[in-house]
Amino acid sequence: MMKDVKNLKEFEGTESYVLDPELRKIVNITIALEMPLLLKGEPGTGKTLLAHAIAQDLGLSLIVLNVKSNMKAVESLYQYDTLTRLNDARFGDSKRNVKNIEEYIRMGKIGQAFVSDAKVVLLIDEIDKADTDFQDDLLDVLDQMSFDIMEIDKTIKAKHRPIVIITSNAKKDLSDPFLGRCNFHHIAFPNQEMMHSIVAAHFPEIEKNVANAVINTFYSLRKVPNVEKKPSTRELINWIRALNNDPKFKASQLGKDGNVPYLGVLFKKSADLEQAKAYINH
Amino acid sequence: MFIPFFYELRALGIPIPPTAFLRLQKALNLGMVNSMEDFYIAARAIMIKSEKYFDLYDRMFAHYFEGVEFKNPSDEELEEAIRSMLLEWLKNPKELIDILGLDPEQFKKYTAEELIKYLLERLKEQNERHDGGSRWIGTGGTSPVGHSGYHPGGMRVGGSGGGGMAIKVAMERRWKEYAYDGPIDSSQMAEALKRLRHLTPTGPMDELNIDETIYQTVRNGGEIDIIYDRRLKDKLKVILMMDNGGWSMDPYIEVCRTLFMYANSNFKDLKTYYFHNCVYDRVYADPPRQTKPMKTIDFSRFDPETRLIIVGDGSMAPYELGADDGNIEYGEYQSRSGHWWLQFLARTFPHAAWLNPKTKDYWEITAGAYTISKIMEIFPMFDLTLEGLDSAVKHLVKKQ
Repeated sequence: MMKDVKNLKEFEGTESYVLDPELRKIVNITIALEMPLLLKGEPGTGKTLLAHAIAQDLGLSLIVLNVKSNMKAVESLYQYDTLTRLNDARFGDSKRNVKNIEEYIRMGKIGQAFVSDAKVVLLIDEIDKADTDFQDDLLDVLDQMSFDIMEIDKTIKAKHRPIVIITSNAKKDLSDPFLGRCNFHHIAFPNQEMMHSIVAAHFPEIEKNVANAVINTFYSLRKVPNVEKKPSTRELINWIRALNNDPKFKASQLGKDGNVPYLGVLFKKSADLEQAKAYINH
Repeated sequence: MFIPFFYELRALGIPIPPTAFLRLQKALNLGMVNSMEDFYIAARAIMIKSEKYFDLYDRMFAHYFEGVEFKNPSDEELEEAIRSMLLEWLKNPKELIDILGLDPEQFKKYTAEELIKYLLERLKEQNERHDGGSRWIGTGGTSPVGHSGYHPGGMRVGGSGGGGMAIKVAMERRWKEYAYDGPIDSSQMAEALKRLRHLTPTGPMDELNIDETIYQTVRNGGEIDIIYDRRLKDKLKVILMMDNGGWSMDPYIEVCRTLFMYANSNFKDLKTYYFHNCVYDRVYADPPRQTKPMKTIDFSRFDPETRLIIVGDGSMAPYELGADDGNIEYGEYQSRSGHWWLQFLARTFPHAAWLNPKTKDYWEITAGAYTISKIMEIFPMFDLTLEGLDSAVKHLVKKQ
């Protein structure tokens, strides 16, 4: 296993992903130590994108496990497709051997990452959505890099240790044992300077005065009080896209006399939108 | 050099996993840390597991490494570090074995002294390891070139060169605003309250359990076996009593409003009542406390399994709590003290918690410290921070 880490080049970021040098160092240390990297930060700070960028830059495939609130750890490992087996047993028109349960085992996302013939990047997205049992069960699997398939009494061991990126939106900390096994970084919301580079990466042609007006307005709108979900980078990018497509849009008019078009692109919850409107017209 | 730094951070109360020490050593060994900035970043990613402590780390780092010469730890320092942390490491031998790349069988045969000796040797190992090329730190003159930042006497931190940058970065204090828990916001509140819902199976067995049906059917070799479950229902009843009177609660109106909003959307069976400063013989179902009074004594008819959450700062004049005619509202008079009524509520609802919008640190020094301490004898009190609300919820779901 050590070998394939050695053969990897250092992660350097990609053209569309503006990478903070500090984060780059953390990613490279994490890969070298073969530990999972836990990324926290408010939505839209590029936590998920980072995993995509790592996979792209290192030329590895990316496997994404989107965690859901009622998910059990075993679902992310494998599934026993009992329904197909029942169908085959009843109607018997498939080539599968009904007596062989193994033919009905489907790998979950983590299982896929383990059996893959090449090293992959495994993104476990929004782990905070699931309960602590899920987190603890997953911890063991990631620690051992193996799991058992109960139904056929078989152990699946990772052929190549995947690069594991875990994201969490929650402000609440995960359990201590979990944290102990991961490297940790919190991605702060980009400052205005950084945001200019991000916008420039997405819109290479954008004019300076437009970028200034849009970003200034965006940061003042992030200060709207009592908002459940503040507009993030993703919303800003979509908003610029909307403004760009509007022939009537003039950068010099933005924010003047409550003139903020497409506010709904920035504030997606209706209560938040009302708050924002009230704030602008205040 | 960084061993005392590690201890200092732990002494400050930052929860650093004991094995982080070994992992950091490993990162140094892998040649991943080639400058003071690298060390600053690596040590943080490996040791500090919450952005809450980033600012403390920054301050400690700047304080510790400003103008300090970076030296490798002496053998004595290393041995002491190993001895003091060995017990903690051994709490989780699997992790220790994993980090060190030990053979588990061999590991079992070691006595404590042998293990210490082994660790010490590993930590100052001069020779190449099995994976080739990299060394543990402490190698002095034989370190690979990349380690130049750590050569004894090689670089003065805080002077010119790489080291000074790290201090400068640390002194920017970029993480200051993450350092305090601050007032809880709406999304956090929803998250915490969600856990109070508890669904219990009640009612008829009329819910088809598809997974179990399929599983049992397959086990039956294809003979269909239909499995039913009892319907899940949220039976939880919640009473929320809020102090909404008096200037002392004014700063907390926003946070209480948010709590109410989320309690309302999260609990099917929620009743809200209002009081001023303390509960006496009446509470009110309407916020202005005028039109919908409810006799406190009538709560004795409620389901004792109901969860009672009282929200208030608990700060009042001692007589408001203790005196029989303590109610300060005009025209209200009764013969029992607030203290008595609170005890009555605690007896009626064994699952109860008091949420205080004032943070815990202030309870002993605020003007209301005396009454707060008296109330705490009756109700378990939690502050309205994320952690406080979380503990309160844990307390409320506990079976007694």
